[in-house]
Amino acid sequence: MSNDLKIKRRRGSLEKRRARAGYLFVLPFILGILLIYLPILIDSVWFSFSDFATYEETIMTEYGEQTVNRITTVGVGFKYYAEAFGDQNFYTALLSSVQQMLFEVPAVIIFSLFIAVVLNQKMLGRAAFRAIFFVPVIIATGVMAEINAQDVMQDAAQEGAEYGAGENAGNNIISMLDVQALFANMQVGTELVSYVVDLVNNIYNIINYSGVQMLIFLAGLQSISPSIYEACQIEGATGWETFWKVTFPMISPMILVNAVYTVIDAFTRTDSPATEMAREAGGGLGGAMSWIYFLIVALILALVGAIASSFVFYQRRD
Amino acid sequence: MDSKPIITKETKNRISVDYEGKPSLKERILRKLKASHTWVKVLINIFRFILMLGVSYVILFPFVSKIAGSFMSITDVVDATVSLIPNNPTLDIYKYLIVDNHYFAALGNTVLLSLITALIQTFVSCLIGYGLAKFKFKLNKTIFVLVVVVMLIPHTALEQAMIMYFSQFDLIVPLSFDKALPGIVETITGGRIDLKDTFAPYIIMSLGGLAFKNGLYIYLMRQFFKGVPDELEESAYVDGSGTFRTFLQIILPLSVPMMITVFLFSFSWQWTDVFYSDIFFYEPGISTAPTLLPDIYEQVPIHLENAFKEHSGYSMYTMVINNTAGIMIILPLVIIYLFCQRYLVQGIERSGLVG
Repeated sequence: MSNDLKIKRRRGSLEKRRARAGYLFVLPFILGILLIYLPILIDSVWFSFSDFATYEETIMTEYGEQTVNRITTVGVGFKYYAEAFGDQNFYTALLSSVQQMLFEVPAVIIFSLFIAVVLNQKMLGRAAFRAIFFVPVIIATGVMAEINAQDVMQDAAQEGAEYGAGENAGNNIISMLDVQALFANMQVGTELVSYVVDLVNNIYNIINYSGVQMLIFLAGLQSISPSIYEACQIEGATGWETFWKVTFPMISPMILVNAVYTVIDAFTRTDSPATEMAREAGGGLGGAMSWIYFLIVALILALVGAIASSFVFYQRRD
Repeated sequence: MDSKPIITKETKNRISVDYEGKPSLKERILRKLKASHTWVKVLINIFRFILMLGVSYVILFPFVSKIAGSFMSITDVVDATVSLIPNNPTLDIYKYLIVDNHYFAALGNTVLLSLITALIQTFVSCLIGYGLAKFKFKLNKTIFVLVVVVMLIPHTALEQAMIMYFSQFDLIVPLSFDKALPGIVETITGGRIDLKDTFAPYIIMSLGGLAFKNGLYIYLMRQFFKGVPDELEESAYVDGSGTFRTFLQIILPLSVPMMITVFLFSFSWQWTDVFYSDIFFYEPGISTAPTLLPDIYEQVPIHLENAFKEHSGYSMYTMVINNTAGIMIILPLVIIYLFCQRYLVQGIERSGLVG
């Protein structure tokens, strides 16, 4: 009897064993966090509160006594944070980074949802379009993004020279003036007009940034049961109604995911003004700038998450 | 009046039926042409097609212009009348990029590095995703939040600490370069290891699921496994298969489509990466690290530099050379993508991610 009990206790219940197996599966991540990530994280936070200093140390080697330079850190408190907050340029960079992000998130989400819905329909050349639309996500990253950016800059310089300095819209697809004329009679705010113009002129970037989001939306659209659409058709709903009453609520969890992903993607890109400034500054000041920027983005992310999750609809899956 | 259906043709999957009083084909076509909704449909289709074509053009045109430029000689580059088709086509740029910039050596190294990291990242994300999706344990939610947080903290903020960490590698201990505390590796071997200029930092980051965008992969795998019905594993357990055997023999083969998607992402993002080679390798002058493909960019081949340095169109020519280098960097990737793109979409489609 007592022997039985002992065995039971050692092996644990099914639930406990399952939990243990779960820990084993996520073990690489736990080890990675504890052994690699945490030291790096603590170091980099500490760097933003400290200065580097070198000192000489004499050590015994096989060739006799030798002096080597060693690096150490000296805590300076909030010095670099104060410096970052006192820098007017940093405010400007921060503001333009956040503005860029706020511009990009809705643009990318609307664009990728639209394209995903279209690519999900049966149409001529669908396979070819799908292949083309995911080219940027595979190819236009890293060094290629750099090359493209340089290309755009060169084009702008060239066209600027051709059209003269007065017309800076030479490389734009549509001119601000045309659109303003078009919208002038429609009684919509100038903010909306300039947003649309920015959207069209940045279409290349927006396409480049929407690849993963398109893929996630496409997967989400595929997981909506066709029987719901059949029911809609039988009830006589139009395509417009079906989209807003069925597709949109069903895809809303994916909208949340993509909103979070787009914020993260925009934030971790190396070419945002604030990140570039922090990298240029380097050392403790750069670290302080990075962490301030991170805190702001974390706040934005929490806000986006809170707003998005209030209208997300989860279908019960039983 | 009841019209009797007449079966005109019947195969295994299809059946075509006629009924009495059915209008003739000509009449049916006429009727359809007269109906307004047919025209609306046609218009929508045309509009949609043109829109897709337009977006495809925006995506593909930069590549077309780069490819066109790559065949130009320096006289074509300066010539304003030449836009896409060069007058004196030449393969000089390709030739000297291959010879002077050691293209094939770089290609070999990049293939090796991308393959290693992509395989490790795919497998590790698969493990972690499966653990998070299918097992209940106390820290499950916390670990998922950590995955997102790790993805959120940009590696640009950690740059300096990463350089320090991997140049004097030791486990666990923060501020290990400062010698404030003895590290694990140090107490065992008596010294720290300089891992820079090797592939080890990439592998270590991948093993921990901490490399570039690994959070996304873990999320994709987790959502994929959430869509796999529990009954599948339960029946395996009933048949006497253990947790890990079930994972290896039933779950892994099932998740191949999703793994291909993740593999393709990690492979191609590693392929074009320049950020991490800046961190993990020393500067070009003192570095003994193997050259990677992105290194051939922004480095004018010596032969071309010597020949055209004095030419008035040299700065424009370097742009063309850089673009050609870009094409050569992504060419192998494009070929791989052409073969795999089907799986990229199909895999994620069939999997049906759940929210």
